[in-house]
Amino acid sequence: MSFKLIGSLTAAVFGAVLAMSASTGAAMAAPECPDGTIKLGGISTITGPADFSEVPNATAAVFDQVNAEGGINGCQIEYILLDDKADPQVAAQSARDLVDNRGVVAMVGSASLLECQVNAGYYHNSGILSMQGLGVDAACFNVPSISPVNVGPFLLSTVMLQFSTEQLGNTQQCAMWIITGGTGEAYAEAVANWEELSGQKIHLVDNSVPFQGDYTPYVLKARDEGCDAVVFNTVEPQVVQMIKAADAQNIEGIDWLFLAPGYTVQVAEALADTNQPVYAGTEWEPFTEAGSEANEGWKAAMETAGLPLTAFSQGGYEAATLMIDVIKGIDGPVTREAVTNALHTMEPMEHPLVGTPYMFGEGDRHSSSRATKVMKLEGGEWVLETPDWFVLGD
Amino acid sequence: MKHVNWPWTIGFVIALAIGSAAATLLGNYWLFLFTGAVIAAIALKGIGLVAGRAGMIALSQMAFAGIGAWTVAYLNVWQVPGTLFLWVPIGGLVAVPFGIAIALPALRLRGIHFAIVTLGFAAAFDSILAATTFPGQTQFIQVPRPPGFTSVPMYFYFVVAVYAVISIALDIVSRTPLGASWVGIKHSERGTAAHGVSVAWSKLTAFAIAAFVSGVSGGLLAGQLQTLVSDSFNIMVSLIYYAVTVMAGAHLAEGALIGGMLIIFFPELMRRLNLPQDIGNIAFALGATQALSMGGSIAADLRGGLRRLRRKVGIRPKTYPEVMRKAGQITPPPVAEGARSVLSIKGLGVKYGQVVALDNVDVEVPEGAVIGLIGPNGAGKSTLIDAVTGFLPSYQGAITLDGGKLDGLDAHKRARAGLRRTWQTTRIPAELTVGSYLNMAARRGLAPAEMDEILQWIGCPHPSTPIATVDVGTRRLLDVAGVVAARPKIVLLDEPAAGQSYEESLFLAQRITEIPEKFGASVVLVEHDIDMVRKACNSIYVLDFGRVIAAGPPAVALEDPDVVRAYVGAVEEETAA
Amino acid sequence: MLSLDVTSILAGLPAGGAYALLGVCLVFTYRLVAVVNFTGAAIGAVGTFTLVLLHEHGFPLWPGVGLGLIAGMLAAIVLGLVMVTWFSEAPAQTKAAVTVALLVGIVAIGLRVTGGQHPRPFPDLIPGPAFTIAGVVITKAAVATIGLAIAFAGAATLFLNNTRTGLQLRALSERPTTAELLGMRTRVLSIGVWAVAGIATTLALMLIAPQRPPNFMTLSLLVVPAFAAALIGFFRSFWLTLVGGLALGMIEGFTASIDELQQFRGTVPFLIILAVLLWSQRNERWDEAR
Repeated sequence: MSFKLIGSLTAAVFGAVLAMSASTGAAMAAPECPDGTIKLGGISTITGPADFSEVPNATAAVFDQVNAEGGINGCQIEYILLDDKADPQVAAQSARDLVDNRGVVAMVGSASLLECQVNAGYYHNSGILSMQGLGVDAACFNVPSISPVNVGPFLLSTVMLQFSTEQLGNTQQCAMWIITGGTGEAYAEAVANWEELSGQKIHLVDNSVPFQGDYTPYVLKARDEGCDAVVFNTVEPQVVQMIKAADAQNIEGIDWLFLAPGYTVQVAEALADTNQPVYAGTEWEPFTEAGSEANEGWKAAMETAGLPLTAFSQGGYEAATLMIDVIKGIDGPVTREAVTNALHTMEPMEHPLVGTPYMFGEGDRHSSSRATKVMKLEGGEWVLETPDWFVLGD
Repeated sequence: MKHVNWPWTIGFVIALAIGSAAATLLGNYWLFLFTGAVIAAIALKGIGLVAGRAGMIALSQMAFAGIGAWTVAYLNVWQVPGTLFLWVPIGGLVAVPFGIAIALPALRLRGIHFAIVTLGFAAAFDSILAATTFPGQTQFIQVPRPPGFTSVPMYFYFVVAVYAVISIALDIVSRTPLGASWVGIKHSERGTAAHGVSVAWSKLTAFAIAAFVSGVSGGLLAGQLQTLVSDSFNIMVSLIYYAVTVMAGAHLAEGALIGGMLIIFFPELMRRLNLPQDIGNIAFALGATQALSMGGSIAADLRGGLRRLRRKVGIRPKTYPEVMRKAGQITPPPVAEGARSVLSIKGLGVKYGQVVALDNVDVEVPEGAVIGLIGPNGAGKSTLIDAVTGFLPSYQGAITLDGGKLDGLDAHKRARAGLRRTWQTTRIPAELTVGSYLNMAARRGLAPAEMDEILQWIGCPHPSTPIATVDVGTRRLLDVAGVVAARPKIVLLDEPAAGQSYEESLFLAQRITEIPEKFGASVVLVEHDIDMVRKACNSIYVLDFGRVIAAGPPAVALEDPDVVRAYVGAVEEETAA
Repeated sequence: MLSLDVTSILAGLPAGGAYALLGVCLVFTYRLVAVVNFTGAAIGAVGTFTLVLLHEHGFPLWPGVGLGLIAGMLAAIVLGLVMVTWFSEAPAQTKAAVTVALLVGIVAIGLRVTGGQHPRPFPDLIPGPAFTIAGVVITKAAVATIGLAIAFAGAATLFLNNTRTGLQLRALSERPTTAELLGMRTRVLSIGVWAVAGIATTLALMLIAPQRPPNFMTLSLLVVPAFAAALIGFFRSFWLTLVGGLALGMIEGFTASIDELQQFRGTVPFLIILAVLLWSQRNERWDEAR
């Protein structure tokens, strides 16, 4: 699907929803729960090769605080979180357990290496929707049954390429992709979208970067091919590795742009003494900005729960607060059908942590978060490079 | 199939049907889990075939499953007619050439090298899989279940039916000479080749079938999840499945099912107990280590327990009436005057480096005769048998069987030409039953009457007896039963009476004298027991330091001064030592 | 184009040094205790992550290295104890299968202890460049890795061929029971071999970990290219293994530079394993082959 088409589709949905919103007001609604609880589910990768538990933990913390204050209209939220250990079979089992056995009314705050691809079809067939706290794999952004709260690696790649063009003035743009779990097509689309948007051609695309291995050859390749900027989709351990390899080879004059997984305090600390210009795009209001007003609600919630302040926890927080608002808008019993209907007919919802409003709706694919704030690494700390949201297409 | 154990098969199908029906009562969630368990069991059967039966460490089986799944995904995207009914077997077939390619380096080697090759393949497949997309995944194209089997219970029945078909087919194959040869090569490749089995063919078929079975499991998984995720087939999954195969004993039908249950229900159990998911892998690792140290597996232990239970409740294994292993009068078989030579050895010479093991040896074996081959330790007797049967890399001289040249032929081709041998130490795989071993040795399914006759003739137990329960002395008799059952032109027996009591060796000597008449084979008998040789042989050859020092009827040859000197010398040396 | 090729080939050297050192460790354990060790890289990962965790908590670098080496050694000793206690009489194949099973467990435990999505800041033991050839800066760590591989290969060759203990160990690996009958302290000797291999493997992984994804599983799976190197040395020759490891790294570097081959660079160790085995085993026929 081309970029323009998504844009016009989104616009159409927005228009339709706006037209309807006059008649449906959240203030009038009174959600009910016959047995006193509202069951929500989440599936995340917690053990195994990755740990995304910060996302659902933040979601759970928000629900705990709501429950402590009496719940939603007297209904306690029961949030059931399961671990898929990055195993497709376990992810599928967990989804069936939540939907068939435990009778959850919606999925919220999930963050998994592969849960979307495994369960999207099952959710669709079961008439349940998932508000992913962190969409990781390509399916999260490509299916009718899931709408993540984050920008996601593919759209963020387009955004970072555009940022590099517009704000850094780079012309020889290079893209290096670690292609895992069938994301090749999605990244190709991300590049094509940028080319259409900027009217430029990508200088070099390398799809062969290994998830494991020595990055020295790739650093050298970027240098020898004359790249001004390299957008690299790696997750954070490899960010450190790539920059260290560039330092070891005394590379100069390349801007290194990473996606949200590179934006962590640990990366900044590990690369405290690098000379490379390192940028990272964020999915939410930068969590390292202590004074940010937008972060206040999230920060307070995390501090109450004793959770660390990380970007992932912002996703979990955003998903939880949005879901609470959606449920609050339901009039009558909070059943799976009611929540699904509410999400399908919702109007775009603003949230302080993101630059564009969140939206589910009845589209075939969902990617409502389309703005980033870019951070730059300076002396072991992340510094805000774009104080305003950098929104795609602006 | 004469020796298929139909009661077992029928029992298995009934148990499966009852189990499936009972599972239906549990509801869709549990059925979904059971579906996963049965699919995992099919994959484990594939590994079990290579790892459990053929004894190779196979670490890439989920890569084959991935190939099967990939094929199904393509067929789905291309809208090829036939649905999963057809796509699943096609997926299995596409995996076969990959399995054969991986087996090629294993034709000449086994064991650890093979483990390294498969690990390398799993890693390579991982890297390719990670770089590419399962067809249709990005477009959100789901893999539809076959018509009529779309619901969770119906798809469960479909998977169970596939499992039943594969189990029964593998069970039937495992009772054929080919299936027995897979166990044979695990135990001893030489021993198996000596029965005329091509070791290369045996390994290739084992691997091809295993790849097919794994490929089928990949296709079924596509139908269960209705989508494909590369992580289902990555290197760690292959390693974990191998560990579970070892732990559960997946070469047995119930072992594969137990393994599948472990893989699926362990995560479920951990979830119910609120324990971390990764404990499962640690448990599998420890379970496999424990199984390896005990030499058993869950399924094998269960079977052992069942056998003990049956004995306790008084169900006795089938037996023949007791045979008295007592010899009557022993006389060499009658040999026609001027009988033609069946085996003719001319100018045989063998060197191991600078050491001459055999030097210009001539031996003639007339049709219908029992020829003795004696000599002190290290005289070259076993080397002669190895040379004749094709187990030496090279030798000088000419060997002909029934006028046909044998030189340059592989061991299994010589065996098929009608030349059979036994070994100084018995090489019968303990996993087989007496009957399946005899079938493997004969390279055909023996008619029950023929099998009964041979076994009772030599005093061996009933065909249904597991060889593991047979004592070593009887296994030596079974060695002889195996070679004669093949009805060869000649049998070479390498110290068949070693370790037997005096009574038993006389009984064996008498049976050996009956071989030419009963089975139409001439005999070359290598023995230390001079008394036995004297009584049973038409004529003997005496070897010393690789040369024939005397030949002729026993009475004459044994009186030869050189022979006396060689033996007395040997005896003196032995006494001195 | 030629210069680019030289560049990319040289860029594979650091990885090659690591493969070589790990390969030499595998040959060492095979020749001395007759175990083909699939946990060959995983035990090193145990020690390396001990260092990383200590370092993260502000422990000084070099004492941390010492403790890391001890941890790697202890992991290897535990493995060795499992082998001599329950599998001393088992065939080589069973021993290998045990290490495969234990690899599954070690990786699970390793991921449990070290898991998570945050980077482990890997300390560079020997930071900085050593020299530049063909436009490629060769780091001191790469030089150290290769140097260590050469030193270990040389020491192992000398030890095996020229010392009494070395000869005893060879006898032990070939005939454990006989060696025991001759009054050798087989248990102590075997454990000693495991300990040395554990230390050497840990050192290898500590040196190359900063150049690798610091993830327990990927470090453990470095055993695949290490096997390829060991096979080039026929599991006998330390020097051939060394050359094989370096060559493997350089071939990988080369394939990374050619667009058509890029996607298949992960298959390089497998293809080399396949080719080496088909060639080296062309005359093997019967069970006597490993």
